[in-house]
Amino acid sequence: MEKIKENSSGWSNGMARNITFIVTKDCQLACKYCYLVGKNSNERMTWEVAKQAIDYILSHEDDFKEESVIWDFIGGEPFLEIDLIDKICDYVKIEMYRRNHHWFNSYRFSFSTNGINYHTESVQNFIKKNIEHLSIGITIDGTKRKHDLNRIWKTADMKKGGGSPEEERGSYDDVARNIPLWLEQFPNAGTKVTISSADIPYIKESVLHLYSLGIHEVNINCVFENVWQEKDDVKFEEQLLELADAIIDGEFYKDYTCSFFNENLGKPLDRKLQNQNWCGAGKMLSIDAAGNFYPCTRFAQYSLRDKRAWMIGNIYDGIDKNKLRPFLVLDRCIQSTLECIECEVAEGCAWCQGENYDSADTSTIYQRSTAICKMHKARVRANNYYWNKLFRKLEFKGIAKKESVDYAKLSNSNNLIC
Amino acid sequence: MLQYLIIQLDNTSTSFCHYSNTKNRPLLITLDNLKNGILFAMKENLMVQYVLPDYELPAEYIEAMESIDNTKIASYQSVYANNADIVVLNGWNKEYLFDKDDVYVLRVDKKELFGKCSEIKEKIKMCRRLNIVITDVETFTDVDFELYRSVLKEFSIALEDSFAADFVAQLNVLTDRMMLDKMNNCNAGCDSITLAPDGRFYVCPAFYYENEYNIGSLVDGLDIKNPQLYRLEYAPICRHCDAYQCKRCIWLNRKTTFEVNTPSHEQCVVSHLERNASRELMMSVRERVEFLSDKEEIKDISYLDPFDLRDEWL
Repeated sequence: MEKIKENSSGWSNGMARNITFIVTKDCQLACKYCYLVGKNSNERMTWEVAKQAIDYILSHEDDFKEESVIWDFIGGEPFLEIDLIDKICDYVKIEMYRRNHHWFNSYRFSFSTNGINYHTESVQNFIKKNIEHLSIGITIDGTKRKHDLNRIWKTADMKKGGGSPEEERGSYDDVARNIPLWLEQFPNAGTKVTISSADIPYIKESVLHLYSLGIHEVNINCVFENVWQEKDDVKFEEQLLELADAIIDGEFYKDYTCSFFNENLGKPLDRKLQNQNWCGAGKMLSIDAAGNFYPCTRFAQYSLRDKRAWMIGNIYDGIDKNKLRPFLVLDRCIQSTLECIECEVAEGCAWCQGENYDSADTSTIYQRSTAICKMHKARVRANNYYWNKLFRKLEFKGIAKKESVDYAKLSNSNNLIC
Repeated sequence: MLQYLIIQLDNTSTSFCHYSNTKNRPLLITLDNLKNGILFAMKENLMVQYVLPDYELPAEYIEAMESIDNTKIASYQSVYANNADIVVLNGWNKEYLFDKDDVYVLRVDKKELFGKCSEIKEKIKMCRRLNIVITDVETFTDVDFELYRSVLKEFSIALEDSFAADFVAQLNVLTDRMMLDKMNNCNAGCDSITLAPDGRFYVCPAFYYENEYNIGSLVDGLDIKNPQLYRLEYAPICRHCDAYQCKRCIWLNRKTTFEVNTPSHEQCVVSHLERNASRELMMSVRERVEFLSDKEEIKDISYLDPFDLRDEWL
């Protein structure tokens, strides 16, 4: 029986508490689309800070009631601090056991890495020690020319605040060499691809290239920042249509996914029944090198262009729950314009609470950025095309799920009915 | 819709609310800015509220001020206290002389409120209305909540006797909720804005004193960014709430939660203690005499912070 591979919902079905250690603000790369505007090599977490953070979290079990936990490590590049991370993870395991904590046996260690140090002895030793509880995502943006367009090595001049295009050196080769080892250790791993304006012409070739490398799950999204140029939406739609043809004609849909295409996308949303906030900020906890707490990494100062950091406490004084209240009562409509609320294709239109905050006219998380609007609408048109074409193909072959075909027909016949 | 323009005439003009006046040196608004502020209010159909300093103003200022219908707020120590519509008492002093026809704002911290409760309650019946403003409400602990509950009980006993004697004394934290059928909050940034001595508009005087953002100036005009966030329907907790008497202090919201539309736990609990005490007082008085027969009974509820109900809203 032919099948359509579905996007994975993530470990613990997205219901785990996410605790992020910003172990360093340094990175070997200087990706052009990186939202971390304040990266530096000075702010590295110490063991004392990390230990105190863990002690605080594990001793406040009532404030962390989720069944599971994802201990997330981020940078900069987290594997630059593998020795610290190894010590943290050992301590977490011992303490969860010693305290008989409800997270013992229900935890993951999670990493988003540029992959450059993946093969090193210290990283490999860590992986072998923790492999039963590990999720590692290596970011590779697609073909060499697409990847190297943005993901470039930091130069000596950049470290001093300068740098010129002539000096740019892409990082593709340094990452790609580690992909086979990564997939051998994590066969179901997915990669995260970020699209900004300059990347649009390379979307199709990049997704297919990642499939050819053996990566079955490509999580891809447009940046939320206001970087988009005139006609980018048209070019984006063209790329996605070509990608849709390639996935369907090549029958990649059986074993591969691309998050651009999703059945639950592009429908109107009910004001009451579908009023949940999109973003998980506030339900996460992020800790920086100074021991400060944030509702998500995007609210730390090194992530913000124009606003002050949104600190919700620190390892010494604990969490100021008042600073979390706005996040926990935030719904979709209250932060959206009337145009967004009444949008005919609202479903699946994402936002980042941190970017909303950073780009808002006042210091608020209650003003949704709409920089991504045209790109979402282009995506919806291409997504409609994808599912219409795919279901038609499967229908002809007599193997489509009946309810899926009926749903596709019904949802696309609204204009005729009305 | 804007209805009020508060004109903070001088840096040393008294606080009449939760914020502290952090500026010690006098800085009088210029006469031009005062006149332009009055002109703005006339053109926008706004009621003017002057916050006066303690010292005597030049005659030309008084003349300009009286060119528009107005309300005056002054401290008990001000030379204008006798002419003020609202007299502000900064801290408690049992020697205060109250006028039965006047409205007073008593600004006290929790220590003074809890400690001087017996003295304060004796004064409630000696004025037309007493507004109590707790200046450190954001520091309340669970112990403080219990103490405040006791204070409200004591005040209630004093009020119950006066109601039974047919004198309706007004104490904001207990009698307002009984009279209200909907939210009646501070509404700074929505119903009112403030013109500060620097010629700029602010959401309220606190935003001026705490060096927060301005919302325009007399030169460039009023420019309230994200104006919807000052309205009740964009307040995710308050729009579900029935503690109608709550100040819903925009500045305290900003200070404690970073958002102008989101109150702190402490502000919510204090307001609900008042709400519940109002309910009990209303029921007690009704057992003795016919009382506010056109008003519905205040419902019995099981929570003190409506934030705890958020899962029911989302």
